[in-house]
Amino acid sequence: MIKLQQDDFDVGILVEAAKSRETGAIVTFIGTVRDDGIECMELEAYHEVAERELAVIRDEAMKEFPLHSVDIIHRTGPLRVGDNIVLIVVSAGHRKEAFLGCEYVIDRLKQTVPIWKKEYLKDSSRWVEGEERPGHTS
Amino acid sequence: MNVRIKAFARFREIIGAENTLDLEEGSSVLGALKSLSERSKDFRDACFDIDGTIASHVVLMINGKRISGSDRETVVLHDGDELAIFPPVAGG
Repeated sequence: MIKLQQDDFDVGILVEAAKSRETGAIVTFIGTVRDDGIECMELEAYHEVAERELAVIRDEAMKEFPLHSVDIIHRTGPLRVGDNIVLIVVSAGHRKEAFLGCEYVIDRLKQTVPIWKKEYLKDSSRWVEGEERPGHTS
Repeated sequence: MNVRIKAFARFREIIGAENTLDLEEGSSVLGALKSLSERSKDFRDACFDIDGTIASHVVLMINGKRISGSDRETVVLHDGDELAIFPPVAGG
């Protein structure tokens, strides 16, 4: 499953859905809203491109590692401190590839998927800085 | 020709989420951005460096595909294209 949605997700349902008779390991990553002195944040996405890029990242991970399944749900819209932002569920026969696959997905997501966060403090707001510097690529 | 401009994050706050530009055939991405800059000084300051080149923090996509490096100044747009402009991504 690859999904951008405003609603929260149910981790247990996704984990159960990832199991098969060949599954020996399921690794999950959940990104949450951290209290960096903020009151809340708003997530914005280039929706159709973001979902397409998440699917590409899933395909990359499954090609790179012997995985059984990769599910990614990323939320958009308003969120508060402690809320869930993103869920990645990776299943595989063994733990090594499950851990590696999950880390690969979140690292790639942070590099390329067109989603942005605006943090709201008590009297101000700021956009979270991304790391990409496209003007420097060849 | 008509080109649809989609802006996100701080660029959306400056020029709005969607704009349509009526450009000359053969116009480049650079030409489209300069046309938008004529509408808004804030957009010009956010998009271009002092020397007139597209700032390094500006990410551009045409029809969902990133344009990188020197292509950013020269790629030609076509009628019906969707040009997206946004800052470095920050998801996850």
